Amino acid sequence: MRTSNQNDSDPDQDVVFEVRDLEVTFGTNRGESRVVRNVDFDIYRNETLGMVGESGSGKSMTSSALMNAVVSPGETSGEVTYYPPDGGEPISVLDLDEEELRKFRWGEVAMVFQGAMSSFNPVKKVRGHFRETLEDHNRDVEAGLERAHQILGDLYLDPDRVLDSYPYELSGGMKQRALVALALILEPEVLVMDEPTAALDLLMQRSIVSLLKELKEEYELTIIFITHDLPLLTKLADRLVVMYAFDIVEVGSTEEILYDAAHPYTRSLLNATPDLNAPIEEMQSISGSKPDPVTNIPGCSYRPRCPMADESCAEAEPPMADRGDGHRTACFYHDDVSDEIPIPAMEAAEKGGESE
Amino acid sequence: MTPKYLLKRLGQAILTFFVTMTVSFLLYQAMPGGPTEAMRSVILSQSGGSVDIDRLNRMIQLYTNVNPDQPMHVQYFNYASDVILRQDLGTSFFKNEEVTTLIMQRIPWSMFISVYALALGYSLSIFLGVMTAYREKSRFDSTVSSLIIGLNSIPYYIVGVVLIYFLAIQNNYFPTGGRIGSGIAAGYNPEFMLSLVQHAALPAISMGALATSGALAMRGNAIRVLGEDYIRVAQLRGLRETRIATQYLGHNSILPMYTQFMIGIAGVFSSAVIVEEVFAYPGMGLLMFEAVKTQDYPLLMGTLLVFTAISLTAIFIADLTYTLIDPRISVGE
Amino acid sequence: MSEAHSDSFDLKDLYDEDIDPDPESRADRTKRFLEMNVVAPARIAVADWRALVGGAILAFFLLMGTVGVWLVERPTSGDAPVLAAPFESLAYPLGTDVFGQPIHAQLIHATPGMFKMIFAGAVVSVGFAALVGVVAGFEHGTRIDSILMTITDVVITIPGLPLIIVITAIFQPENPYIVGVFLGIDNWPGLARTVRSQVLSIREESYVEASEIMGIPLSSILRRDILSQLMPYVMINGALTSRRIIFESVGLYFLGILPFTTFNWGVMMNLAYEGNALTRPDMLPWMVAPMVCIFLLSFGLVLLSQGLDSLFNVRLRARHAKTSKKGTSKNNQSQATGGD
Repeated sequence: MRTSNQNDSDPDQDVVFEVRDLEVTFGTNRGESRVVRNVDFDIYRNETLGMVGESGSGKSMTSSALMNAVVSPGETSGEVTYYPPDGGEPISVLDLDEEELRKFRWGEVAMVFQGAMSSFNPVKKVRGHFRETLEDHNRDVEAGLERAHQILGDLYLDPDRVLDSYPYELSGGMKQRALVALALILEPEVLVMDEPTAALDLLMQRSIVSLLKELKEEYELTIIFITHDLPLLTKLADRLVVMYAFDIVEVGSTEEILYDAAHPYTRSLLNATPDLNAPIEEMQSISGSKPDPVTNIPGCSYRPRCPMADESCAEAEPPMADRGDGHRTACFYHDDVSDEIPIPAMEAAEKGGESE
Repeated sequence: MTPKYLLKRLGQAILTFFVTMTVSFLLYQAMPGGPTEAMRSVILSQSGGSVDIDRLNRMIQLYTNVNPDQPMHVQYFNYASDVILRQDLGTSFFKNEEVTTLIMQRIPWSMFISVYALALGYSLSIFLGVMTAYREKSRFDSTVSSLIIGLNSIPYYIVGVVLIYFLAIQNNYFPTGGRIGSGIAAGYNPEFMLSLVQHAALPAISMGALATSGALAMRGNAIRVLGEDYIRVAQLRGLRETRIATQYLGHNSILPMYTQFMIGIAGVFSSAVIVEEVFAYPGMGLLMFEAVKTQDYPLLMGTLLVFTAISLTAIFIADLTYTLIDPRISVGE
Repeated sequence: MSEAHSDSFDLKDLYDEDIDPDPESRADRTKRFLEMNVVAPARIAVADWRALVGGAILAFFLLMGTVGVWLVERPTSGDAPVLAAPFESLAYPLGTDVFGQPIHAQLIHATPGMFKMIFAGAVVSVGFAALVGVVAGFEHGTRIDSILMTITDVVITIPGLPLIIVITAIFQPENPYIVGVFLGIDNWPGLARTVRSQVLSIREESYVEASEIMGIPLSSILRRDILSQLMPYVMINGALTSRRIIFESVGLYFLGILPFTTFNWGVMMNLAYEGNALTRPDMLPWMVAPMVCIFLLSFGLVLLSQGLDSLFNVRLRARHAKTSKKGTSKNNQSQATGGD
């Protein structure tokens, strides 16, 4: 089956999700709002994929589409194919009926998102959340609760105390970890984390991140980590997907993106990212305003804010250019980007002070 | 549940009863021309002939537990101690029986239809509220919402009249009134039970119409709860729809309504006065109506006090269940 | 009840606009008052069909009670044949009752009394509720607040209808205004609580705190905001209270507990019901006509309150949208429209 993948999939990699022509649209009174446009990408088994982009760039919508969980009245179209482990029959997620989809969710793909504080039913004990999840997926409840104990313990929580608490009795960090445990209770293949650390303090953020690394090893997870916190991602992700204006502008390994970013937006993003190592005067904000999902900009969507844009960028949408090793970017001038838009902090770090 | 919360609620209920009792005492005093004048003609028409003022006052004392001869505070003290310590609400002018006895015979019947009305009305409002919220802006939603608005624009007693006309007069599905068919022996036989339910059905439905006034508010709550993160997460968790609808959506949408539901109990109970008269259903409401018609003041005040006591008890019981439905109450308050 | 208020008010705007060192001229002030209390609600009412229909029904009944009573003569016994059927003669389009009184004339002449009751009841209960709520809100945390709230809780749990029945049975009120006042007795506590919590939420807003720190007296801040923010609640509750007063007064007339001194829809229903109108088709119009009137008037009031509720909510939301543009939004709606 894997050989039947389209030619842009890496044949060496074990693919768990294959996304093609993904579109998410909303009808608004101003016209059709396209919040995800023609997105193609693959997710490899047991990798940590980071998705980065400013808020409203479509990254949450894209990840929701993996579970066909775009909130109504959003319409999802395209292909989302899930490959179960051990060569099982591939599943076309967008074609599942309601009951199949219900079983698929959480069983194969679980999601933790930023509303951890309010992800629990306020009138139900944490144990109830575990129990009902097991029941509704026809799992062995007793064995499942055993497992819950173990996962909670792995997350440095007191299992009995947490399970016997109501959500309001737990702190934010505890709730967040309990939610991660709840996400792992059915032993899913893929864990989507949508800004899971946004509401937490810095210390808690870092501890969750290091926990994730341990969990990934222990439970053989594929993790999709969505955030606008690029420094956090670089410590965590194997590969990065950069989204701008409802589409992917650059994909590549974390190394490649960090040291050889080939899209002007990615480079601006790197420049705009606060890093403790970088002097403050080297930080730059990205000028211009965010794109509107209703209007369609002809040509490259980043053109209005791009310092390198010229007429050709207005005429056609740049195709994904392959830079080798799975590094692809949607820019006509990807070879010139590194000269046009330097990243002082990164160069300084890379060259260890050789250049001035 | 904290004992402090319960004590506060209990204290409030007792205070409310005291206030009602005091009001009823003051109402005796505030009768046009004073209690003696006001009740003279009623009592005279009962006993026939003329009586002197002392005898009249003694009779008033006998019937109402209020002796207009005594200073006000003594009167009040006697009245209150009769009500509270001896559960003595006086004697009916017309039936010459203890008010307490008369009321006790009627209470079960009123409770029967009231509890049915509450159960019916509240479960319907919760169900419809959740369903319409689930399908917000669908045709189902707009139809049901309009029906609810329409229903809320019809007084419950008119609902009763309409039900009688269509279900009891035009079609003989239900009896037009009364509480039990004639010639049916009381007891645990199916015939009696059926007759009981048949007679109670229409009064209960029309009182229940009053209890559906919460449906639209319930819909609003449910729409708000539908926007909560935990609902979305529950859907992502692949929980069954029925579980999400009941344990997530339903449960959480009821919480803000709970107080309103509790207070509504008093309203539904008191609607018995009008509904029982429409259906000639001999409960406490009809007793109160008869008391008004015959100017039977002791009976009238007695029914007021018992109505209050029953409502307060029901509200207090509902209060106890609040902790079952909202765990947070033990830290709040 | 109210939505959480945005905290991103611009203090400068607030002061420029409202606490101007130069007092406004009287004309400006009047104009602004009219704008806020007459023009804006009217414009709102036109924008929502429910408010529009509700308002139209209400206006129809008001016309009936003012112009109608001039046009249609006060009915007396023997005006027309007894128990005439409806839609047969222009003199009695809805038929007549057992005394030969035209039904439409009775309906029309019952309206002024109805409105007097509604007016008295609504003014008393809404006014009292606003007073108790505002005072309790102002004095939050003091003894006055707790006393007022205890009274409110006590009244809220007393079964209102039996109490009103006892009171009317003893005093036998004949004046519709007095009837309205009696019926308003148990109607105020709910609104009082709403008003109080509204005052409290205004107090908690950050700009109020900031203004207080800057030395502007709390009372002047609250006075300005309370007027504008409580108006919706008062209007919506006024409509709902009116409906309740219709229900209760007609109910009491229907039962025959209130003395039959005027024309009233409930009196008509009582006489018809006692005459077994339900089993006599020739008497049915006598029973049905007042029922339809009660339904229509209450329906109008409910629609009006619903329309106002959604409109005020929309306005509230619109204001939020405008003032919180800079706040980051996490909901999908705004992502979908690109509005964050």
